[in-house]
Amino acid sequence: MATSSPAPTPVDQKRASFEQEALVHLDTLYRVALRLSGNPADADDLVQETMLKAYRSWDQYQKGTNAKGWLLTILRNSFINEYRRRSRHPETVDVDTIEPFAVFGDVQDEDPQGTFFDRIVDDEVLRAIDQLPEVFRETLVLSDVEGLNYQEIAKMLDVPVGTVKSRLFRARQALQAKLYDYAVSMGYIKGNRP
Amino acid sequence: MNCRECEDQLYEFLDKELTPEAEREIRQHLAECHPCGEHFDFEGVFLQFLRTRCRAQGAPPELKHRLLRELFGE
Repeated sequence: MATSSPAPTPVDQKRASFEQEALVHLDTLYRVALRLSGNPADADDLVQETMLKAYRSWDQYQKGTNAKGWLLTILRNSFINEYRRRSRHPETVDVDTIEPFAVFGDVQDEDPQGTFFDRIVDDEVLRAIDQLPEVFRETLVLSDVEGLNYQEIAKMLDVPVGTVKSRLFRARQALQAKLYDYAVSMGYIKGNRP
Repeated sequence: MNCRECEDQLYEFLDKELTPEAEREIRQHLAECHPCGEHFDFEGVFLQFLRTRCRAQGAPPELKHRLLRELFGE
């Protein structure tokens, strides 16, 4: 008689579905954790804690729905409860004094295609994001880095969609202005600013 | 649609958050208005730039190994 392989146990099935639906979001969780906490050691701990919590309560997650959103919500709650107190951010980008679309106004004659952005190194971009105030940084990362839509972000942060829109607008404009000033200071673009 | 109304919806358009009807109106304006077209392209380049630069980084391999050990004992 031919031997057949044993049927998968519930533990095997749990592991398989967790690998397929949760572990695939490891990079997303790490990037968000790093931008929230501001340092790699806390980001490591935060992600590990999130994944262990998620695995323990995996039965409560409805399979095939939005695992990324579910995991990010766990991560964010852990951050707020345990890590926020000691997160260190210079928060020096001012989102309140931004004149809408000022950068495009400045560069539209010299470099309307924004080629100067290409010369800015990754670390400088991340440093500038880290200088945004937390609620703006968080909204921008969820949208512009991780690709969540307005509705998903609003639900996760428990704010109206209009708030997501206005935070995104100000965060993007402030970040753009910061990176533009940097590009001017490095001589990547001449610029028009005094 | 005038330039101001078009610009007000710039990010919603680039984020694909508009209704098909509103999106069509924007496209129509952009086809006729070169400055707005250039501006939308510029902001699109900026968003693409952010995404590419920030996604270069992922979780460190040691973290993944540690997690697999903690979760599944391997």
